[in-house]
Amino acid sequence: MRVAISSSGTSLDSNVDPRFGRCPYYIIYDTKTDSSEHIENESRQAMGGAGIQASQFLANKKVEAVIAGNIGPNAYRVLSAASIKIYSGVTGTVKDAIEKLKKDELKETLAPNVQSHFGTGPGMGTGGRQ
Amino acid sequence: MELDLEWEQEVGSKLIVSIASGKGGTGKTTIAVNLALSVGYCQFMDYDVEAPNASFFLKPDIKHVKKVTIKHPYFLKETGADFSKCAEFCHYNSVVAVGSEVVFFPELCHGCGGCLLVGPERAVREKDITIGEIKKGSAKPMIDFFMGNLKPGYMRTISIQSELDKSLERSELVLIDCPPGNSCPMVFAVKDSDYCILVTEPTPYGLNDLLISIEVLKNMNIPYGVIINRDGIGNDEVEKHCIRNNIKILLKIPNDRGIAESYSRGETLIEYDESWKTKFKGMISEIEGVVKR
Repeated sequence: MRVAISSSGTSLDSNVDPRFGRCPYYIIYDTKTDSSEHIENESRQAMGGAGIQASQFLANKKVEAVIAGNIGPNAYRVLSAASIKIYSGVTGTVKDAIEKLKKDELKETLAPNVQSHFGTGPGMGTGGRQ
Repeated sequence: MELDLEWEQEVGSKLIVSIASGKGGTGKTTIAVNLALSVGYCQFMDYDVEAPNASFFLKPDIKHVKKVTIKHPYFLKETGADFSKCAEFCHYNSVVAVGSEVVFFPELCHGCGGCLLVGPERAVREKDITIGEIKKGSAKPMIDFFMGNLKPGYMRTISIQSELDKSLERSELVLIDCPPGNSCPMVFAVKDSDYCILVTEPTPYGLNDLLISIEVLKNMNIPYGVIINRDGIGNDEVEKHCIRNNIKILLKIPNDRGIAESYSRGETLIEYDESWKTKFKGMISEIEGVVKR
């Protein structure tokens, strides 16, 4: 299974980033071959809909599951439409998260666990009122 | 012919004065409302359509309400068409195509119609969506009142403001209560102004945002002056900046608990202290002088 983990860095020792749409990197891990690669998240600078764009991107990358700290409702809709499994509320290192997934210790998330714009820092976001 | 021209100048050339501020909550509406009531006879337009509040103070009698609609796409999934071109095209990520699924996020759609042009023929259609309304009415003593109201969650501020634009007339003094900030909605609200009043507070945040507003107005060649509200808090950097750069300080309103209390009861400054009426009237005469010169 190809799984994408929202990551704060480029290695397996990096922490799982709490923000799904605006994390700096995704680690894409293949549990069959135990191989991994990291991809920079270009959606993190999106004016709006970062989670949507990221979900579309990962769907195009043929990812079958995602692991992140938080997943909002918009990303949730796209990932569900693409039949991608979602594991949210995950903390610790990327490596730990993968181990837990392999041991079947992660519980699939069946609803978004945060509101829209949850991971939107100050000065970013939808470009509305300033 | 000569006569016609003169007539036009007399009737159709009254000033448009906008009241803006970079920082929110500095007192735009307070100033706009009190100006309107001091002058008595004017057209008042609340262009802060995301959070219109002038009506709380002017208490207008609303006579007309008009819905504002935009076009939104809908996708005929059952055609089995490939909508990935629509998703690629949409800058605002309002359309996503994954495999045979298409997901649409209406709150992110700007209604540009691009997905109809690039998408599969006949599989993308359009329908009208109500995004808000504009209201027209009158307030005492002789104020023609206009306001817009954007539905929460929608991004199309300008669409509502454009609808208000259609009611702009220069047959009397026009006062435009602008949205806060210096982005598109503010630029759109001030664009036709003969003069812009920038309301600020004497704090570092107030000054920072005032400087951005000034840059915007300079770019648009709109003359401006500054009102310092809640004078006495913060520091004197705003005043120093204005003096150093020859920027007109139109008025200072002191930081006064009594004013704040009357405001929180929905009262106006001139109700609280009638002497402000003369100051506001004087300010309009001064602005007329600056613009005609």
